[in-house]
Amino acid sequence: MTGVNFYRVRRTLGVWIPVIVLMFVVIAPFYWIFTGSIKAPQEIIQRVPTLFPQSFTLQHYDKLFSSSDFPQYLLNSTIVAALTMIVTLLLATPAAYSLYRLRFPGRDLIFKVILVTYAFPGILLLIPLYTMLTHIHLVDTLWALVIINVTFASPFAVWLMEAFFKAVPHELEEAAALDGADRATILARVMLPLIAPGLGSIAIYAFITSWTEYMFASVVIISDVNRTVPVGLAGIIGQYQVDWGLLLAGATITTLPVLMLFALVGRHFVEGLTAGAVK
Amino acid sequence: MRAKAGAFTIALIIGMLFMAWGPVSAQEDVVEIVFWHMEQPPHRVERIQQLIDEFNEAHPNIHVSQEPQNWAEIYAKAPAAVAAGNAPDLLFAIPDFTPIIRQVGAVQPVDDFVAEMDEAHGFFPSAVEPYTYDGHVWAVPLWNMAHSLWYHVDMFEEAGIEPPETWDEWLAAVEALTDEEAGVYGIGLPANRHLYTDQTVYDFMINAGAFELYNEDGTLRFDNPDTVEALDFYSQLYQYSPPDSPNWTWGEAEACFVSRTCAMILQFTVIKSYEDQGEGDPENLGVIPIPHAADLEESGTIAYPNAVMLLTDDPDKQEAAYEWLRFLLEPENYGRFLNMEPGLFLPVTEDGSEAESYWSDPLVVEYEAQIRVMLENSQNGMLFGFTGGNIFPSIAQISAQNLLAQTLQRVVIDGEAPADAVAWGQEQMIEAIEAAEE
Repeated sequence: MTGVNFYRVRRTLGVWIPVIVLMFVVIAPFYWIFTGSIKAPQEIIQRVPTLFPQSFTLQHYDKLFSSSDFPQYLLNSTIVAALTMIVTLLLATPAAYSLYRLRFPGRDLIFKVILVTYAFPGILLLIPLYTMLTHIHLVDTLWALVIINVTFASPFAVWLMEAFFKAVPHELEEAAALDGADRATILARVMLPLIAPGLGSIAIYAFITSWTEYMFASVVIISDVNRTVPVGLAGIIGQYQVDWGLLLAGATITTLPVLMLFALVGRHFVEGLTAGAVK
Repeated sequence: MRAKAGAFTIALIIGMLFMAWGPVSAQEDVVEIVFWHMEQPPHRVERIQQLIDEFNEAHPNIHVSQEPQNWAEIYAKAPAAVAAGNAPDLLFAIPDFTPIIRQVGAVQPVDDFVAEMDEAHGFFPSAVEPYTYDGHVWAVPLWNMAHSLWYHVDMFEEAGIEPPETWDEWLAAVEALTDEEAGVYGIGLPANRHLYTDQTVYDFMINAGAFELYNEDGTLRFDNPDTVEALDFYSQLYQYSPPDSPNWTWGEAEACFVSRTCAMILQFTVIKSYEDQGEGDPENLGVIPIPHAADLEESGTIAYPNAVMLLTDDPDKQEAAYEWLRFLLEPENYGRFLNMEPGLFLPVTEDGSEAESYWSDPLVVEYEAQIRVMLENSQNGMLFGFTGGNIFPSIAQISAQNLLAQTLQRVVIDGEAPADAVAWGQEQMIEAIEAAEE
C-alpha cells in the first residue's frame, strides 16, 4: 500500500467509523422500539432478547387504536403542537425583528427579560399558572397548553433568530424603504424570504417542545378527551402491570410526526442552529 | 358564493350553540358528580364506564362522570385543583395521599356513611384503619392490594425444594435456584429510588418485626435492630437479583418473573401478565406469604387499602355521591368493579369477598387458588405510618422522598453497613418532617 493510499484509507475510516457509531447510537433505540412493537408479547420480554423479530404481530397497534383513546391524544397533540408552532412564529418573528433591527429605548432590557423567562424553571410556575388559567376558564382546554407552550418556546425562538436577522444587510431594508415600503412590508416581503431557515428552525423547535411537553399537560388537562400523547400514553400503559407491547407501539407512533417534520424541514433546523457559529 | 358559505357557517355555529345550551337547561335538576380515579389503563376505564352507565340509567336525577388521572401527577394536580376551586366531588386515595388533600382543607368526613356500609357489607377493619384518625374516617375503602411472594412451581420441583416459610429457607431457596450462566436468578428485588422499593423494603421490615416506624408519641423508631436485620437480609438476597434490578419498578420485576428470568418476586399480582405474556399455566404459578425471620411466628405484608375521598361540601352532591358508592359496594356490582383488573384488586368487604360477581370472572376462575392466597395474605397487611391504631400524617413526607428506598440503596449499592444506613435514614426522616413543618 502506498503512502497516499494508506492516508486515504485512514482518512476515510476516520470519517466513517465515528459516523457509523453515531448512527448506531441514534438509530438503535428507534430500531429496538419499532421491532419490539411488532413482536409477540412473549418475545418482547423473553430472557434472551432477539435482535431480529422471531414473530410478527400488529396486535399492539390494534389495541392501541381500538381499545384506547390514543387516536384522540394524537389529534390533541397535533392541534396543540401546530397551534404552538404557528403562534410562536407569529410572535417571535416580529419580536426578533424589532429587537435586532430597530432601535428604541429599553431594547436591551427587553432582550434580557426575554432571556430570563427562558431560563426560568417551569415547575415554579405550575401552581400560579394553574390558578390563573382557572380564573380565565382555560383549565382543561387545549388553548391553555398552547399558551403555556408558546410562553416557553418564544424566548428561545427570539434568541435563535438573532443570527438570521443580523446576517441580512441593512442596505436591503433601506432600499425597500426608499421604494416606499413600511416596516410590516419590509418584514414580510424582504426579511422573511431571507430568514426562511430560521423560521424553519423555530417552527420545528416549537413543535417538538409542544409535542413532548409533559408537566403542564399532566396538570392542566383534566379530562381524557383533552389529553395529549405524552400524558395519555403514560396512563394507558399501566402502573403495576405494564403492557410492554402497547408501550412500544405508542412510542413508535409518537415519534412519527416528529420524524416527518424533520424530514420536511430538518435541514433548516440544522442550518438554524449552526447559523452564526462561524463568522 | 363566499357570502352564502359564510352565512351558513355562522348559522351552523349559532345552531350548535343552541343545541349545546338546550340539554344543559333541560338537565338543571340533575346532580352532577365528577370523580377522579387513577385507574387509567383503557380496560379499567371501560369497566368503570359500564358501571357508571348502569348507575346513571337507574338514577335519572344523578349524573356521574369519571375523569381518569395518573398517580404520577395527582400529588401536584389535586391540591392545585382544590386551590383553584375546580376539585372533583370524589377523589380516589391511598392512605398517604389523604393527609395531603386534608391539609388543603378539602376532605369531608365520611364516618356515618362508612358505618352504614360496614353494617351492610362488613368492612375488613384493616381497610378502614388507615383512614381513621383525628376523630373521623376520611375515606371510604374500595379495595385492597397486598404483596405476596410469587414463584415458578416447576423451578422449585426441579430443584427439589419446598416453598420457603422462614428467611433461612428463603435464602437457601434463592441460592439453589440461581444459575447466572443460564440467566436465571433466584429472586428479583428492586433497589430503585421508587415506591416499589419502599414497598419491598417494608415487606422485609414487617417480617423482621420492624413494622412500626413511629413510637406512640410520634417520634421515629426506624433506627432499631429489627430494621437493621431487615436491610441486612435484603442485601443477602439482593446479590442473587438480576444486575439491572437497581432500576426496576413494578413492571420490570413482573417482566423478569413472567419471562422466567426470576424464580421469585414480591409483587401485588402477576396474574394478568403471566396469562397474557407468559406461560399462562395456573398450575405452575405459585404464591405464598412472604417468609419471615426465625423469631416471628407469622408472615406479614405491605397492603394498600385504596379508598375514595369525598371532597364536595354540597349536601345534594354528597348524597348523590353516597348513592353512587352504595351502588358500587353492592355485591352484584362490586365484583365487576374490582375485576376491572382481575387478580389485582382485592375485596375489602365480607360480602364482597364472597360475591359471585367477583369469583365468576373467567380469569379469577382460572386463578382462584392464587387469589384466595392473596386475599388471605392481605388480612395480615399493614402500611408504614398507618399501624397500631396510630396515624402520623408526616409519613407523607417520608413517602414523598422514598426514604426507605434511599436507605436501602446505601446498603446494596454503596456497600454501607446496614446499621449506619438505618441511622442515616432516620436522620433524613427527621429532617424531612421538620422541613415540612417549617
